[in-house]
Amino acid sequence: MLSRVAESVFWLARYMERTNGLLRVLRTNYLASQDEMREYNWKSVLQTYGYLFDEEIAPIQYNSRAVLEYVMLNRNNNASLINNITRSRENAKAVQDHITKEMWHNLNAYYHLIRELNIEQPIKYGDPIAALDALIKHGLFLYGTIDVTMPRGEAYNFLNIGRFMERAIITTDVTDIKLKEIEYNLQETATPALRYLLYSLSGYEAYLKTSRGIVEPDTIMKQVLYDEGFVHSVLYCMEHISRYFKRLRGQSIPESYEHLDFLIGKGLSNLKYSSSNLKDGLSIKELLAQTRQDLHHISAAFNKHYFGYN
Amino acid sequence: MTLPGILASYFIQPEVWDELMSHTGVRGSYHHLVKAIEGFTPDELGNKDELAKKLFMTQGITFTVYSDNEGVEKIFPFDIIPRIIEAKEWAIIEAGIKQRLKALNIFLKDVYHQQFIIKDGMVPAKLIYSCPLFLREMMNVNVPFDIYSHISGIDLIRDADGSFYVLEDNLRTPSGVSYMLENRSITFRIFPDIIPRNNVRSVIEYPSLLLKNLLGLANRQASNPTVVLLTPGVYNSAYFEHTTLARLMGIELVEGRDLVVENHHVYMKTTSGLQKVDVIYRRVDDDFIDPLTFRPDSVLGVPGIYWAYRKGNVAIVNAMGNGVADDKAVYSYVPEMIRYYLNEEPILKNVPTYELDVPENRSMVFANMNKMVVKKTNESGGYGMLMGNKATEEEMEEYKKAILEDPRNFIAQPIINLSSSPCYINGKLQPRRVDLRPFALYGPDGIDIVPGGLTRVALREGSLVVNSSQGGGSKDTWVLGE
Repeated sequence: MLSRVAESVFWLARYMERTNGLLRVLRTNYLASQDEMREYNWKSVLQTYGYLFDEEIAPIQYNSRAVLEYVMLNRNNNASLINNITRSRENAKAVQDHITKEMWHNLNAYYHLIRELNIEQPIKYGDPIAALDALIKHGLFLYGTIDVTMPRGEAYNFLNIGRFMERAIITTDVTDIKLKEIEYNLQETATPALRYLLYSLSGYEAYLKTSRGIVEPDTIMKQVLYDEGFVHSVLYCMEHISRYFKRLRGQSIPESYEHLDFLIGKGLSNLKYSSSNLKDGLSIKELLAQTRQDLHHISAAFNKHYFGYN
Repeated sequence: MTLPGILASYFIQPEVWDELMSHTGVRGSYHHLVKAIEGFTPDELGNKDELAKKLFMTQGITFTVYSDNEGVEKIFPFDIIPRIIEAKEWAIIEAGIKQRLKALNIFLKDVYHQQFIIKDGMVPAKLIYSCPLFLREMMNVNVPFDIYSHISGIDLIRDADGSFYVLEDNLRTPSGVSYMLENRSITFRIFPDIIPRNNVRSVIEYPSLLLKNLLGLANRQASNPTVVLLTPGVYNSAYFEHTTLARLMGIELVEGRDLVVENHHVYMKTTSGLQKVDVIYRRVDDDFIDPLTFRPDSVLGVPGIYWAYRKGNVAIVNAMGNGVADDKAVYSYVPEMIRYYLNEEPILKNVPTYELDVPENRSMVFANMNKMVVKKTNESGGYGMLMGNKATEEEMEEYKKAILEDPRNFIAQPIINLSSSPCYINGKLQPRRVDLRPFALYGPDGIDIVPGGLTRVALREGSLVVNSSQGGGSKDTWVLGE
């Protein structure tokens, strides 16, 4: 496969996953904003998914609609949802001969969907959940299309590596942001914030089933970081990066493969055999930073050894 | 003569051949179609028109116009009523194009080798050497099987008497074939069952014929040759076509930056290292293909590819330097070429063409400019053209001035009334002018022309310009079986 194509497939998956992650974070935050006694503060969302200065954040940080409009539809916001979907589509456009026609059509339709008034109107004037749900649903439709139509070849493997790489980054980032909001203090009082963390990662139902309704910060952290059955946990994502990467062996230059294999293995070990204390917020902070750095090294190695930036 | 309701407001224009109707009624080839669409109400046809637009959009059959940080998706306008060509008409077109392409390919070989045609005084040397598309770099380069124009899109028009004329021979990187394929698949959707009942010949073979020819050009020693399609990239307006063709042929779609030349061989950069490329179907113009030989500022090409080509290490389709054969001034010599090289009479007519560096022609054209179309010899896409009957005095004066400054760069032709074909516009069928671009594939086994082509239509009332950049659209083209 062409290096450029591999890179585009990798990035189209990353932008897709980023879109999915962002939609879920926004949905959770919006629901939280409606369930607050005080006005809900969107500052951390604006800081994470935008490029505004503090003085620009201040006038809109308590205005849910303005925040959603900025994070979802503003083209001048480089991290906005519409820009993510556009980039995913642009990458797909450049590799149409390596993805299925159905997948391309769905991604193209996704791009047209977010530009429709049916999405813009509810965000600005109606029920934003309706718009968020429509977009999440289309995203799931796209994942289904990939699952059912894509041949299990090189493109599929790069697609999944990109997807799990992004998901791992999202989980580490979202967790870190949540912990920062509670100043890395994992006492009982942290429970409501961590509950929203689980909502954002679609993990609350799973948590309730395994924890028998006992909500404790360290068990939440364990699920987010280590639960092998939870599809958004960092360990699950890292293991899947490793799994799809190993399938590339036959199509790789041996030295490149070995280098990447080493880095992925090292990242997995750093996470798996970490001696972090899950009751201690600062200890988790360090672990998250370490994981983030490992992911960064893996990504840079893909650039160098597989995407032709050497 | 009683006409079906759907045609109640349809009319034939004087001095124009209408594809659907003659003065005695609906032509035989259109009987089935008219019968089929007669049953639809204007609303139903309107819905079909909407469905077609929606299908183009959702299937991404679009080109993007970039402005203000936002890409606007546009579709190439499509008219739902197909244009029909009878079997006996197609037989003439097919024979005519094959004859013409044979002659043009021999001409290209001749002009880049011994130049018999110049030495025998059939074509003036000045005409060839003053053509900016004549590439000295191609002199004495041997191309595989002596084929220069592997893919050609010959533009045909029909005059008032119904006979076909060749308007242009597009021998460089003709585009539009994906629309031939997509228009057909959209017609399947909007008019279910109608195509099989009309005995319409299929166009689906095009990608496999093209791939067969491309593989045939590879070096015989390569058991599994690598064929790629070289595109200028996603920002090119024909990008949809490049990606469609690559997908349908199952070949890699590459950009210049994906290729690298080493030791006069071309390689593509893959995840498993460099992979040798044997055949390149390029959609990048000559000027841009190799910055070391042609335009040094090109980032679309591949440095060093010209020498790899010259050494025969890679086949490039179409050959470089073909522009000299579809120069609009050289065009007027094609009938002579056919007689000279093949000793045959041309089957398809040429539009009378006046070279404006001949003073007598110039004064005649200047005196009758309102009946003429003046064209720049090396431009296409409807640019660099003046329709005398629509131009203002001022525009004519400007053109006259430009012609006097560089007469070799212009030709003039009498305005030919393109034939008209029914189009569904504003809720009713209306005649609009059309041309036809069939696509011919010249490979080691000979010339194949897929029965069909791209019918381009001037959607503006009274317009004779069919180019998409000038408000043109397209329609499905049906060639009927025997």
